Amino acid sequence: MADPRRVLLLIASTSYKATDFLEAAGRLGVAVTVGSDHEATLAEEAPGGTLALDFSDSAGSLAAITELHAREPFAAVVAAEDEGVELAAVAARELGLEHNPPEAVHACRRKDLFREKLSKTDLLAPWYEAFPEGAGPSRVAGQIPYPCVVKPVALAASRGVIRANGPSEFVAAFQRVVKIMRAARGDRGDAPLVLVESYIPGSEVALEGLLIRGELRTLAILDKPDPLVGPFFEETLFVTPSRLDTAVQSEIERVTGRVAAAIGLHEGPVHAELRVNDEGVWVIELAPRTIGGLCSRIFRYRAGVSLEELVLRHALDGTLDELAEPLPPSGVMMIPIPRSGRLEVVSGVEDAEAVEGVQEVVMSLLPGQEVIPLPEGNRYLGFIFARGESAPAVESALREAHDLLDIRIEPTGSQVSPSEVGSG
Amino acid sequence: MTEVDRRGDTVAFTEAAREQIRGFIQEDEATDLAIRVRVRNPSPVSPEYEMALIEPAEHEPEDEVFDGGGFEVVVDPESARILTGTEVDWVDSLQGSGFQFTNPNVKPLGSEPLSGPLADRVQQVLEQRINPGIAMHGGAVSLVDIRDNVVYLRMSGGCQGCGMASVTLTQGIKQVLQEAVPEIVEIRDVTDHASGTDPYFSPEK
Repeated sequence: MADPRRVLLLIASTSYKATDFLEAAGRLGVAVTVGSDHEATLAEEAPGGTLALDFSDSAGSLAAITELHAREPFAAVVAAEDEGVELAAVAARELGLEHNPPEAVHACRRKDLFREKLSKTDLLAPWYEAFPEGAGPSRVAGQIPYPCVVKPVALAASRGVIRANGPSEFVAAFQRVVKIMRAARGDRGDAPLVLVESYIPGSEVALEGLLIRGELRTLAILDKPDPLVGPFFEETLFVTPSRLDTAVQSEIERVTGRVAAAIGLHEGPVHAELRVNDEGVWVIELAPRTIGGLCSRIFRYRAGVSLEELVLRHALDGTLDELAEPLPPSGVMMIPIPRSGRLEVVSGVEDAEAVEGVQEVVMSLLPGQEVIPLPEGNRYLGFIFARGESAPAVESALREAHDLLDIRIEPTGSQVSPSEVGSG
Repeated sequence: MTEVDRRGDTVAFTEAAREQIRGFIQEDEATDLAIRVRVRNPSPVSPEYEMALIEPAEHEPEDEVFDGGGFEVVVDPESARILTGTEVDWVDSLQGSGFQFTNPNVKPLGSEPLSGPLADRVQQVLEQRINPGIAMHGGAVSLVDIRDNVVYLRMSGGCQGCGMASVTLTQGIKQVLQEAVPEIVEIRDVTDHASGTDPYFSPEK
């Protein structure tokens, strides 16, 4: 049944989530305007269907949004991924819709501001300092505690994140991060700052949740069974339920909720990355959006309800659907990128999908496209999704399926030599 | 194709298929095995069938059961409705071996020439209002079929594999087509996006 309400859905032209959000909106029967960072080809033929916006210029984009809102009022503004979260918050405030404060969202997009906010709490937090791109890394190398992690302040998904164990590795890492930032910046307007943090040892987990009037509702705690120790931090496996002690899981929820409150977030999806060690639970990042890439497809509830549908229902009605029950043991593998080059062919997909528990293998890079590993890489190679009787069974199915894939990558001239950064 | 056994009301098997099935049953240690034939996905784009050996305890009261030619065949009522008249053969070739279903009830999309006023109107909208715009991104969309006022489209060029293809479809093509041809009840994209070679937009982290 059609819902008369209209949602402004902010989707970047580089989104992985366009299809999932539009399908969710279709299932709910709500009308949608897609605001994106490009002029849609059929914008003139289908007015109101799309809106060309500049995500980095909230003030400039507001005029177009308010003009359309006057004709076709929006009941909610939702950003599909990082690129649109700040504009969504600014637009919602302008239109008088429930949302997070823009200042809080901005702090989540800037890792240095995020650290600054957390430093004012009693939560565990690493030493940190932000340096201008132009800071001579050789000069500051002596001021850094080691091991440390060097990262851009505004890139996501481990892009440009490098561990350094001493001054010489730090200098190489800093220079490489600056290169990555400059290449990525384009017209994004990211701050030209490099964040340096002390390295936090321990196991890493993610928490996927939804904030409702300031209360965190946890949808899942996801273990990352592959060790993430550097020098680069390629995420591969997410598996739920967590195998951590229940007391630790409670602490993960408590810490995430406190971080969200400290930042000033109170509505909508949150994706937190945390580390757990003998000292306690450390928040690495918290983003006011859903989990990245296509990973949200592990969240499938009764009647096929998706995470995107939960997010839209919450944005429209301010509630969490009762269908958001604990997930059965589920997991996803972000297929590791073995080397750089040009993707030739991926075979074995049918065999991988035949592994018991494996639901789907989705290759998100197409043959002929460039494959770039971290820390420079900005694309996922593909995803494997599985369900099973237990978290170990899910993990095992994902690994077995991955072993059956034959990913052929033709070398190209643009490979990055491992010697450009010191070993971990 | 070898001789077809038509003792089954719903599904008939060639001698080659019967031989394979009897072999599978004999290889199994369990006794009283039957073969369940099921339609997993009746899609006219790519219908999927499933055959599995089952034990007597796995029969359901509403199942249709018949002799397939030396073995028992079990079909659930919904699958039986779609499978009636289907022939199953065993194909062994250089490309691989397996059971091949020929189902007269499932006509692949685009298997018959499109004609009639509805198809003409859709074609006209595609040519005059949609494709000129999409061509700006090197893309094109073509009409594959119309069934029960459901329109099946295929994207190509810059649209095939494009990260924004679903936006173009739902926020552009669908709006224009349904406004111009209101009797269209649904528009479905049957593009093989994984085979795109020149997508206009590609997802990034």
